Amino acid sequence: MLEARLQQGSLLKKIIEAIKELVTDANFDCNDSGIALQAMDNSHVALVALLLRANAFEPYRCDRNLSLGISIANFAKLLKCGANDDTITIEADENGDSLNLTFENETGDRTSQFELKLMDIDSDHLGIPETSYDAVVKMSSAEFQRICRDLSTLSESVTIDCTKEGVKFQAVGDLGAGNITIKQGASIDQEESTTIDLQQNCSLTFSLKYLLNFTKATPLASSVTLSMSNEVPLLVEYKINEVGFVRYYLAPKIEE
Amino acid sequence: MSPTVKRKSENEGEIHHHVEQLDYQSPKKLKNDGPSTFELQLQKMEAESEKMVDPVSFWNRPPLPKINPNEDPIIFQQIEIDDYVNIKNNSTAEFGSTKTMEPVIRFYGCTEKGNSVVCNVHGFYHYLYIPAPVNFKESDLPAFKEALSTNNDVKKVEIVLRESIYNFHGNQKSPYIKITATLPKQLSGIKRKLEQGINIPGFGERGFNTYDSTLNYDLRFMIDRNVTGVNWLECPPKKYTIRPKQECVSNCQLEIDIGYEDLISHEPENEWSSIAPLRILSFDIECSGRPGIFPEPKVDSVIQIANVVTIQGESKPFIKNIFTLKSCSPIIGSHVMSFENEKELLQAWSDFFVKVDPDVITGYNILNFDIPYLLDRAATLKVNRFPYLGRIKSTKTEAKDSRFSSRAYGTRESKNINLDGRIDFDVLQMMQRDHKLRSYTLNSVCNHFLGEQKEDVHHSIITDLQNGNAETRRRLAIYCLKDAWLPQRLLDKLMCLINYIEMARVTGVPFNLLLQRGQQIKVISQLYRKAIEEDLIIPFMQQEVAEEQYTGATVIEPKKGFYDCPISTLDFNSLYPSIMMAHNLCYTTLLNKQTIERLGLKKDIDYIVTPSNDMFVKEKHRKGLLPSILKHLIDARKKAKVDLKKETDPFKKSVLNGRQLALKISANSVYGFTGATIGRLPCIPISQSTTAYGREMIEKTKYLVESHYSIANGFPHDATVIYGDTDSVMVRFGVQSLEEAMKLGREAAQFVTQHFIKPINLEFEKVYFPYLLISKKRYAGLFWTKTEKYDKLDAKGIETVRRDNCRLVQNVIDTCLRKMLIDRNVEAAIDYAKQVISDLLQNKIDLSQLVITKALSKTEYDGKQAHKELADRMRKRDPGSAPNLGDRVAYVIIKAAKDAAAYEKSEDPLYVLEHNIPIDTKYYLDNQLSKPLMRIFEPILGDKAQSLLSGDHTRVISVAAPTIGGLMKFAVKRETCLGCKAVLQKGEKAVCAHCKPRLGELYQRQIMQFNINERKYARLWTQCQRCQGSLHQDIICTSKDCPIFYMRKKIQKDMKDNTNLIERFKFEEIIQCSKTN
Repeated sequence: MLEARLQQGSLLKKIIEAIKELVTDANFDCNDSGIALQAMDNSHVALVALLLRANAFEPYRCDRNLSLGISIANFAKLLKCGANDDTITIEADENGDSLNLTFENETGDRTSQFELKLMDIDSDHLGIPETSYDAVVKMSSAEFQRICRDLSTLSESVTIDCTKEGVKFQAVGDLGAGNITIKQGASIDQEESTTIDLQQNCSLTFSLKYLLNFTKATPLASSVTLSMSNEVPLLVEYKINEVGFVRYYLAPKIEE
Repeated sequence: MSPTVKRKSENEGEIHHHVEQLDYQSPKKLKNDGPSTFELQLQKMEAESEKMVDPVSFWNRPPLPKINPNEDPIIFQQIEIDDYVNIKNNSTAEFGSTKTMEPVIRFYGCTEKGNSVVCNVHGFYHYLYIPAPVNFKESDLPAFKEALSTNNDVKKVEIVLRESIYNFHGNQKSPYIKITATLPKQLSGIKRKLEQGINIPGFGERGFNTYDSTLNYDLRFMIDRNVTGVNWLECPPKKYTIRPKQECVSNCQLEIDIGYEDLISHEPENEWSSIAPLRILSFDIECSGRPGIFPEPKVDSVIQIANVVTIQGESKPFIKNIFTLKSCSPIIGSHVMSFENEKELLQAWSDFFVKVDPDVITGYNILNFDIPYLLDRAATLKVNRFPYLGRIKSTKTEAKDSRFSSRAYGTRESKNINLDGRIDFDVLQMMQRDHKLRSYTLNSVCNHFLGEQKEDVHHSIITDLQNGNAETRRRLAIYCLKDAWLPQRLLDKLMCLINYIEMARVTGVPFNLLLQRGQQIKVISQLYRKAIEEDLIIPFMQQEVAEEQYTGATVIEPKKGFYDCPISTLDFNSLYPSIMMAHNLCYTTLLNKQTIERLGLKKDIDYIVTPSNDMFVKEKHRKGLLPSILKHLIDARKKAKVDLKKETDPFKKSVLNGRQLALKISANSVYGFTGATIGRLPCIPISQSTTAYGREMIEKTKYLVESHYSIANGFPHDATVIYGDTDSVMVRFGVQSLEEAMKLGREAAQFVTQHFIKPINLEFEKVYFPYLLISKKRYAGLFWTKTEKYDKLDAKGIETVRRDNCRLVQNVIDTCLRKMLIDRNVEAAIDYAKQVISDLLQNKIDLSQLVITKALSKTEYDGKQAHKELADRMRKRDPGSAPNLGDRVAYVIIKAAKDAAAYEKSEDPLYVLEHNIPIDTKYYLDNQLSKPLMRIFEPILGDKAQSLLSGDHTRVISVAAPTIGGLMKFAVKRETCLGCKAVLQKGEKAVCAHCKPRLGELYQRQIMQFNINERKYARLWTQCQRCQGSLHQDIICTSKDCPIFYMRKKIQKDMKDNTNLIERFKFEEIIQCSKTN
């Protein structure tokens, strides 16, 4: 039996919005420590890893490990039925074939209940092993979103160069070229200032289409971490207020 | 790489050992432990035939009997015709030596005894007509000849009375000038001069319309002398001369000369309807190849040539031999000839070919591959005596590119190969013309028609087999022999040769033209043949693309739905031919206003006005040519059908059946000929009147049936016409029993027929019960002609017959229809459809079911197309195995990034199989299955049908992980619990702590699954062994058309996964054991 009550219902909405472009159907793995999801996109170029720890919910109860097969698109549709300030309660039975969603508004005078049919998804559970990266860049998530958006007007791919001085995003396309450089500690605001933890210079090329998809998670966190090593997938991580994270992995583009 | 990845690969290696060891082994290990079934067949044939002395002694034709030209006629069946120019040296005392040139027609043929004959026919000249100018007299002829002639090309001019085929002229013949050319090829020059205009003394400069000017010389001769395709010719005694051996130009046993008026042509009737004992050679070659590259004649050698020679009408081949490069172990029942040198091999084959002197050459794709390859290879190796495969000794055989384009058959590129005097009959071309199939590989064609598969050996393996030893080459030789024999068996089974010969006889077209040309030539040949009887001549018409479109056939708006009552179907038999006959529609009866005024004709007494406002004169004034051609064809067909019923000899039966089919097709193509606006002789008034009558008749039938069979007239129910198309109407009489429906149908057909002019005949043909009417041209029903048992399930326009979707759709729709219509169990049909959808989403459907094929018909498409893009991608990977122009490309749709276009998602099925690439099951559900399913279920279920596509059964899915692609080499698989799919913690191997109590049950489940798979795999494996014909040899077949192949591969992979899972339980056991200890 799973029962999880989320004070900030909008958080769940944002999370689903952040992954629904990449994942169509996926298993949510629930255990006593929290709710997790790992799924690849259809073209197997990107991977999404999501974790919401138990402390994100109040209360949280999960008697045994559960795997809930959910159609993300349908889940998003139902979540739209709740207002932003609503509290959301998720409930699922051990052998049930559906997920119950309860929305309560702030004053507690309106509750609505929905039921989502679950799917039985048979898929391999794939993950990217944790490694140490040559370069770890922490920067403002809004800034990252803007960079991706701007460069995507030029080209389908972006090359990211990390050096001691800063991190440089470059794109070359038919209509011209552009590059954006962010230096360490450029921003005044402590929260959003850029930090670069560099072991070794590195330069990698990625598809902008996917990066743009990742930036759908921007509302979840004010800063984003990009972890890179040459010829290894990029890790883009959005931390959710100490209660979890959304991580994206993206395979580098290999020159043909 | 991380240690986990390493472990995975180790595992794979181990499993490889488990499962793969059965599969492909390197050819060095190939051993032959016993005869295959095909070998047994060869053996049997050997035993049945008499003891062989020397296999080469069979090569020659039977010896020529002694012929006395003064007493013995020479009778032979001609199979091909060509012509040449004979240059005669006339030396006379007065003028010295002069050269005269004379055209000669040359027939190639075969006598009843099987002797080959060349017959040179002398004295026939090619000609055309022009209308004589007003007041042109006999005395003007010399001046006219003088004006027209250049280089002595006009042999003769004369005034004759003829009539143009176009329009009715009041049965008045007019004077025409017949111009005879010295040489056939000069005629087109004369035609051009006449059209451009010549200056005739006394008549001034003027141009002429030419008549009968587009026929070629050979056909002209055949028409004038009433020679049809492949008929029997007789040279009466004393009229012919036999050429002495030293003057013979051909390899034939007998060469004779005869004047054209002495040659007797027999109509292919009664005793003359037989077929000579033609020699049919079917062959196949194998070439060595380099990995990844399709064999090229400049580099890759020919390593084997297998030949099978059969005499027409006999069931067994009398020569089976194989020419191999390097030694080859003996094959029972076959003559193996081994050569160390490729040049010797080619020359020996060429000698064999000439010696056997086949009348018909067949094989699979020989015209575009085997023969050109041999010719090119021989040229590369400078085997100079090789390319003389025709019957004329001095003519070199060459392959020329040709392009064939026809409305009915589409555009095909092919090679034209001159094999004088022999019929080349490529089974592949015939298949592509006459049968619509998903795939045209020899394997799938054999599967379709003979019900048996053959191995499909990839060309890269062929080289390995060749480089092995005599045993491996024997293996290849058996494969090659089978490939040579199968086309022959297809010919026999489909009776192609007989059907084509009958078609040639009925339409009068030479055999070789039937395969090279479209439908028009057949009608033209018949038109000329009829026209010449009535002194009619055919004008040359400029081909112009007419914008004019006339209305086609009518369709009565269908009353859609599922009818659980008998629906009687009434058909007009041969609708268009019978309309043309009934109303005397023809070129010769077409009237215009001027003629009507000039001859003072009266409407409805002398002529009729058709519903499309065209006018035709009535039969009492002139009987049309087309109606009499049609009458001839239809009568002949009736006769053939009557004979067919009486005939008991199966061979003669097949000839008659071939004939009646040929007649039917010919009759139907006459209407099309008049409507072909870019054809030789289009006549829109005829074709539009025909369709207009057709429309009127369908409407009238509907009215008659509905008004007569009504409650008002004392019938128990009001009959309704629920649908009607072109030549048939479907009537619901309202009765419940089949018997009544048939009785009423028969009555109604008779009743309606009375209201139409003869020979229009409405016939009751069948009852559909039940009947599912989906929309125009789309329906299905159970087909009854007798009350005891239904004949078949008939489906029109439904996905069961179309080729542009995957086999899954076809199977599902077919099965659903069966359940609905035959078992009358709609519930079962729904359950079945749901089950298939569920299986599809769980990846349980065989890949072969999902393959879509599409012909790569052009190099440039507007916009991107899935099959074209894939062909390009495959070419980059391996140019050898990539599909070429004209091939059908097979592909499946794979998962890709969101919103990717379909053309980005197409992939080669084999590639998908090898790399475990996930299939886009959603695409198959939404784009392939949903519409056809909705169409058949909506009439029954109404709005509820939608639940088929979104019910509970769609909620169990399976997502496969590929072995290639962006992230896959970095990703690590984490094990999940086999009971509840929860991610496993450290130390847990098979199940999570929670599911531990179920361990036994889960283990058993896996073992059971494994057993099922194992059994399935074993069965598939034996199936393949049977197909290749040996239980002791490895399977080397990689046929892309074979569902078994995909199943075998898939189950192999499933077992690998299975074994992996079972492996996981081992650790559990150890843990448990250690705990209990």
